Amino acid sequence: MALLALEDLTVRFRTRGGTVHAVNGVSFDLEAGETLGLVGESGCGKTATGLAMLRLLPRPAGRVEGGRVVFAGRDLLSLSEAEMRDLRGREIAMVFQDPMTSLNPVLTIGTQLIETLVAHRQLRGAAARGRAIELLEIVGIPQAARSLRRYPHQFSGGMRQRVMIAIALALAPRLLIADEPTTALDVTIQAQVLELIEELTRESGTAVILITHDLGVVAGRTQRICVMYAGFVVETATTRQLFAAPRHPYTVGLLHSIPRPQATGIGELIPIEGAPPEQLTAPSGCPFAPRCAWRIAACWVDNPALVPLTRDGTVAGEVVNTGPQATHRLACHNPASAEEARAGRPLRPGFEAAPPPTDILAVQPAGSAA
Amino acid sequence: MTTPPMAQLAGPAGAEAAFRTGRRRRAVTTAGRVLANPLSAIGLVLALVLILIALAAPLLVPYDPLTIDAANRLLPPSPTHPFGTDEAGRDIFSRVLYGTRPSLLAATVILGLASVVGTVIGLVAGFRGGRVDELLMRLTDMFLAFPALVLAMGAAAALGPSFFNAMIAIAIVWWPWYARLVRGQVLHLKHELFVDAARVAGASERRIVLRHILPNCWTPIIVQMSLDVGYAILTMASLSFIGLGAQPPAPEWGAMVAVGRDYILDQPWYVAFPGMAIFVAVMAFNLLGDGLQEALSPRWRR
Repeated sequence: MALLALEDLTVRFRTRGGTVHAVNGVSFDLEAGETLGLVGESGCGKTATGLAMLRLLPRPAGRVEGGRVVFAGRDLLSLSEAEMRDLRGREIAMVFQDPMTSLNPVLTIGTQLIETLVAHRQLRGAAARGRAIELLEIVGIPQAARSLRRYPHQFSGGMRQRVMIAIALALAPRLLIADEPTTALDVTIQAQVLELIEELTRESGTAVILITHDLGVVAGRTQRICVMYAGFVVETATTRQLFAAPRHPYTVGLLHSIPRPQATGIGELIPIEGAPPEQLTAPSGCPFAPRCAWRIAACWVDNPALVPLTRDGTVAGEVVNTGPQATHRLACHNPASAEEARAGRPLRPGFEAAPPPTDILAVQPAGSAA
Repeated sequence: MTTPPMAQLAGPAGAEAAFRTGRRRRAVTTAGRVLANPLSAIGLVLALVLILIALAAPLLVPYDPLTIDAANRLLPPSPTHPFGTDEAGRDIFSRVLYGTRPSLLAATVILGLASVVGTVIGLVAGFRGGRVDELLMRLTDMFLAFPALVLAMGAAAALGPSFFNAMIAIAIVWWPWYARLVRGQVLHLKHELFVDAARVAGASERRIVLRHILPNCWTPIIVQMSLDVGYAILTMASLSFIGLGAQPPAPEWGAMVAVGRDYILDQPWYVAFPGMAIFVAVMAFNLLGDGLQEALSPRWRR
């Protein structure tokens, strides 16, 4: 049985401006020790998915309105708050995007690190301090013993993120959710921090969900990838498969948005025009349709389901959810071919690329209202 | 990963010591910043002098502040009576020195009560939010709707005129300011990422409030308190002046000014010296409060 199974997770935010459909039936499995990248633009439901798993959606606006989160055989959504608190930090840990604000400015690094140890383990006093020093050394903080009494403002962003990682991994959790852990850091530090997470979680056998908007970040570091758009998983595959044969136009768009073409083997930098939808209503068709060059008439009226593919692109028979043989799944009416994925635009003879979203307001077909 | 030699030497015991010196060093740098500004340095020195006078008053005064000496009534300032004497021949200098005691005591009690009550209410209102917040904040609004001094007068009159009751009365009108201050802090702090981070690490609500949110409120509370000391002294003196606080012949500045008012034309020093004392005390604590605010402001945290 998988360590983590998300089944049809649905999250809504009730705001003054309306109900935001943040996560719309997301499902995926994760084995112990496996690494999964959750990729998509800002506002596509990645963070909401992560917070929902820990039951930390901002209240009262955010609510899980459907689905299950099964972790090690237990449905997290039905646990009591006390059971959940015991689980957080010990079994599931999370590292946030911004290390500048995720440490309490008035408490020393040592206090905050030791707090996690004392809260869950019977470590106290000198033993807890000793372990804290050890943890800081592990994440590569120089002069660990002296650093314990430093305040967060005496540390650089990269150092603070190392401290956050030390706190997150202090109790050797079984799952680490890393939400854009390097976005706020200098480019030179990003790789170091990612390597640190990779190295430490590999040693402890911790499964990782790496949330990022940057496909370049997950390229060599995760075994599988879920591409999310507007709260839906639109494509999922092993990392190798996804980079080798992306099929969803959004995935293709993301790959062409990585400003390191030689690393991905894809030539031209092509931006995805427009912005993600506001998600105030459930989409009638494919949520990506307004921005998609491949769209066809069906895209406006029918939101495609996530269905398994075989390697040759036809619908698969046997389905594998996790591991290196995981089935490639796709939610698209008109997927990109391999040549089109490389080119970043539709190439079929007779098929005319749809206009970018800035032009479609005037020409949007009548079917879109259905 | 190898252990650096430093850490092996220091070990957990070193860490313990490190904690303590860190805290001490922070207090020292804050004091240094207060002294760096001449105005706040004056405030700090004056405040320390006032506290010292209050503590050592019996050792400093030339006369007992309550002893009547009918032969030496209403004398002007002279070497034997530097501030003159009052209508019963009591030494005003001794009485002014003794006057620091009720003033500082009142300020301590008023601000202690007000800040504790206000902080608890502010923490609960801000963190719980919703209906609890609504209820508590409307309650504080009710208190704030009255002019503070008028409400304090009403409360003091209702409780009966005495020094103790006046302190309670002033505390009753003072806590809403702390409740609002702390609630405002909590409202912004509870959405800070480090609160989420503490939750992710498995901290309980109580722990989050006491360990993560409250320590972040200390600076504004301390600054507010130091700015309020002067006003608390002034309010206490005002209540005593109108007869609702300390009762003559107790050596209290407000009460002394109240009695001395009758002699203001012929013996102006009688009201002038306790009045000056009120002025100096209020100014000292205001300067110190401003200095502390500056010294503890976040722009130093770099």
